[in-house]
Amino acid sequence: MERKVILSARDVVVKFRVRDRVLTAIRKVSLDLYEGETLAIVGESGSGKTVLTKTFTGMLESNGFIAEGKIFFEDQDLVQIKNNKTWEKIRGSKIATVFQDPMSSLNPIRTIGTQITEVIIKHQKKNSKEAREIAIDLMDKVGIPNAADRFNEYPFQYSGGMRQRIVIAIALACRPKILICDEPTTALDVTIQAQILELIKNLQKEFGFTTIYITHDLGVVANVAQRVAVMYAGQIVEYGTSHEIFYSPKHPYTWALLSSLPQLGIKGEKLYSIPGTPPSLFYEVKGDAFAQRNPYAMNIDFEEEPPFFMITESHFAKTWLQDPRAPKVELPSAIRDLHATIVKIYGKEGV
Amino acid sequence: MTSKEVLLSLKDVTITFPKGKGVFTAVKDASFDIYKGETFALVGESGSGKTTIGRAIVRINPVAKGSIEFEGKLISEKLGMEETKWVTKSIQMIFQDPATSLNERATVDYIISEGLYNFHMYKDEADRKAKVLKSLTEVGLLDEHITRYPHEFSGGQRQRIGIARAMAMEPRLIVADEPISALDVSIRAQVLNLMKTLQETKGLTYLFIAHDLSVVRFISDRIAVIHLGRIVELADTEELFKNPLHPYTKSLLSAIPMPDPILESKKVPLFYDGSEHDYSTDLPSFVEISKDHFVWANTKELESYKKILKI
Amino acid sequence: MSNANEKFQFVKIDEFASEHISAPHYSYWKSVFKQFFKSKLAIAMLIMAAVIFSISMIQPLFSNYNPMASPDISDFSIRFNRPNLTFWFGTDHWGNSLFDAVWSGARTSITIALLATSINMGLGIAVGAIWGYNKILDKYLLEIYNVVANVPFLLVAIMLMYVLGPGFWQLIFVLCMTEWLSIAYFIRTQVMIIRDREYNLVSRTLGTSSVRMISRNILPFLTSVIVTLLSREIPSIISSESFLSFLGVGLPPQITSLGKLISIYITYYGTYPYLFWIPVAVLASISVSFYIVGQTFADASDPKTHR
Repeated sequence: MERKVILSARDVVVKFRVRDRVLTAIRKVSLDLYEGETLAIVGESGSGKTVLTKTFTGMLESNGFIAEGKIFFEDQDLVQIKNNKTWEKIRGSKIATVFQDPMSSLNPIRTIGTQITEVIIKHQKKNSKEAREIAIDLMDKVGIPNAADRFNEYPFQYSGGMRQRIVIAIALACRPKILICDEPTTALDVTIQAQILELIKNLQKEFGFTTIYITHDLGVVANVAQRVAVMYAGQIVEYGTSHEIFYSPKHPYTWALLSSLPQLGIKGEKLYSIPGTPPSLFYEVKGDAFAQRNPYAMNIDFEEEPPFFMITESHFAKTWLQDPRAPKVELPSAIRDLHATIVKIYGKEGV
Repeated sequence: MTSKEVLLSLKDVTITFPKGKGVFTAVKDASFDIYKGETFALVGESGSGKTTIGRAIVRINPVAKGSIEFEGKLISEKLGMEETKWVTKSIQMIFQDPATSLNERATVDYIISEGLYNFHMYKDEADRKAKVLKSLTEVGLLDEHITRYPHEFSGGQRQRIGIARAMAMEPRLIVADEPISALDVSIRAQVLNLMKTLQETKGLTYLFIAHDLSVVRFISDRIAVIHLGRIVELADTEELFKNPLHPYTKSLLSAIPMPDPILESKKVPLFYDGSEHDYSTDLPSFVEISKDHFVWANTKELESYKKILKI
Repeated sequence: MSNANEKFQFVKIDEFASEHISAPHYSYWKSVFKQFFKSKLAIAMLIMAAVIFSISMIQPLFSNYNPMASPDISDFSIRFNRPNLTFWFGTDHWGNSLFDAVWSGARTSITIALLATSINMGLGIAVGAIWGYNKILDKYLLEIYNVVANVPFLLVAIMLMYVLGPGFWQLIFVLCMTEWLSIAYFIRTQVMIIRDREYNLVSRTLGTSSVRMISRNILPFLTSVIVTLLSREIPSIISSESFLSFLGVGLPPQITSLGKLISIYITYYGTYPYLFWIPVAVLASISVSFYIVGQTFADASDPKTHR
């Protein structure tokens, strides 16, 4: 099925100046985002998942810069944008972001209502009465009970989950084409997390935006994403549909991430654990960045960087294991029949 | 569990904090026993009082009402010097955030030795050093780390330093307060495995505090679910996952994120806000509904739970 | 082809390899000094402070300057000599060498500053640490502080000096009387910020005593703050001392200080300006050099500046 690409990144390299050294946070990442889909980017901290999406909204920290590459969005190369004015036409209005900590996105001394209406007035050119109506409607849609009554309350009067709903309402106020959710539920309780995930999915159906969901939690990925990109040490190492990534992953890092999930642990047995730590990105990485931690590492992994191998039309993996010359390796037993295993552990319906 | 020797016992523990002019009750009438050698999990969301209970056990939070007994001795009141020393050595804690729980201006040597210094738990300098190195080795760190400072380590390594510090005291009970939730996904398994290994080799007992049932299923023998300071259900892990009774337990279970798109697509999250209970006349209590399975319910709810359990 | 086969052979990975820390050992004090000596200004000021300090400690031993004795009082030719090769800083209205007078005065001023600062800092840190740590004590000490902090220091100092009479130790007493309390208050606030950090809770679960807690968990984090205080305290004591001496309360006639010299020579501000300006310049040099050295050191002792 031919689908429309809404945003396209090509060979993006992002570097940071840290004191007098240079850190390469993103190492030649290419990515296509299709209209209306939910793409999850998974990786541990420092893998570059947040940095990558910050380049889409021009929000890199001041010591960071895009050294190479192009990012196309609406016939325009975002890398070329230099002034803040142009960014303001895109950031917030066309590409909006929801961050992990709702408190950091809200002004503690202004009412919830004014914080939503101000965005509506600015981007949609409405008068304050119309804006108020739209805002209350939005608050209603993100699941704030008695929205009209709570319009004039302050952020501290809201619970963590409710605040995150408000942040989502503000993000949606200008009807963005792309919503970037950067670990929006990590700071929340599990039951609240489930509610927020539901909410985002429902809103997506209603508003029709495209979602990039950043998380380190594969459980969340399985819930929200149609497509998944796995990041490691500043690169995407595997991407494919959600079913491909969970039921027939090809990259040993994806295997390791899945196998080490406590959800899959069998009592009395050890969980698979990934040895070591990711490489320092202050130095140039030789070969496959995951080689040092990879139980399936081959000699070539320490010498040459693997290319992307195509597994299906939609599934690509950056590992030498896919090379025809490489020995055949089976999926680790812990994740071989993922669905069956989970059903066995948690019962038919899951739980 | 081979023996059912009670190591720690909480009876009707209530913990309050001053709040404005009044008091805020963080924990209400918590009662449970922890058996020697088991892993007992206390699961609840933020503000449920789970950490408060953990801290009461290590004697940081005072108990307003009720009692905590360790090895048959009351420890929830003011103790003498010798008894304090005994409790401190016997019950140790592992903290949630390795980024904040290590003294940044101290070397790993001092951090692990801190408890040893306090109780002079070594014969001479060589003995102390040997104990520190032994603890380091046990958690998979290297001898050369002894002179390093915390900021030189990764998150997983720092958490293992925290574990080594607790282990150096040779405790019998470990209160682990969300020991993996602040860690990166790729190192959580490592820390969980380490805790299991240490438990097996040293015969430790764990109180494992968590907000997420998925972690707890793998590591614990019994689970208590706590909601707004009240323990609402307590059962063996298997039993709790098979026959969750309290609606809050059910909602927690339904919220576990599963790494399985097929299941997740069918998922219907259950919400709990307490409105399903009618406790106006029929008051609830903590009842053992079937063997070792306790639930906070009134008589009407018990009836319906019994139907579910077919007893 | 065999080459290719070899390339695609599995390798055994060393699981402990990544546990090693390749970075060189971190040493707090080494990093502090490294950072300090990066500043050229600080090095210059350190040299200046060292030179002034050495001269003022050594020179008076040889000059035997005595403000009460004016052996050449009858020799009018050596009165009011402008700075020249014999009298580097010139002479005053009694024919005394200003060079001798200035260094003798500097010695007194520096000695008083160092003594009073040590007492203030020692007392202030000790009390402040306990004050910040103990919540019950806090209530009472805060009341005392509020009263003392609202009393104008100079007024009380002048009154007390009148009552106690002039003298070296009386002056030190007055300079220390209330100042240590404000240092203690400052330290208390800093301690309270650090006190509730989680690693202190950890120490409690390990049975660490309050004394060890203060000395190992709290004070090491205040190094930078304490050095900052110190760098402000020395110049501030020097100026308080000078001011009191300038007003004529403080030191007895037989002891000279920079403040006293300035108060005597201000009469000649218009006619023989060098008599006024040289002691002022020395006083300023001491204050500025101590202050800049202290500030740079305080910055350097903040681990955030280390890499």
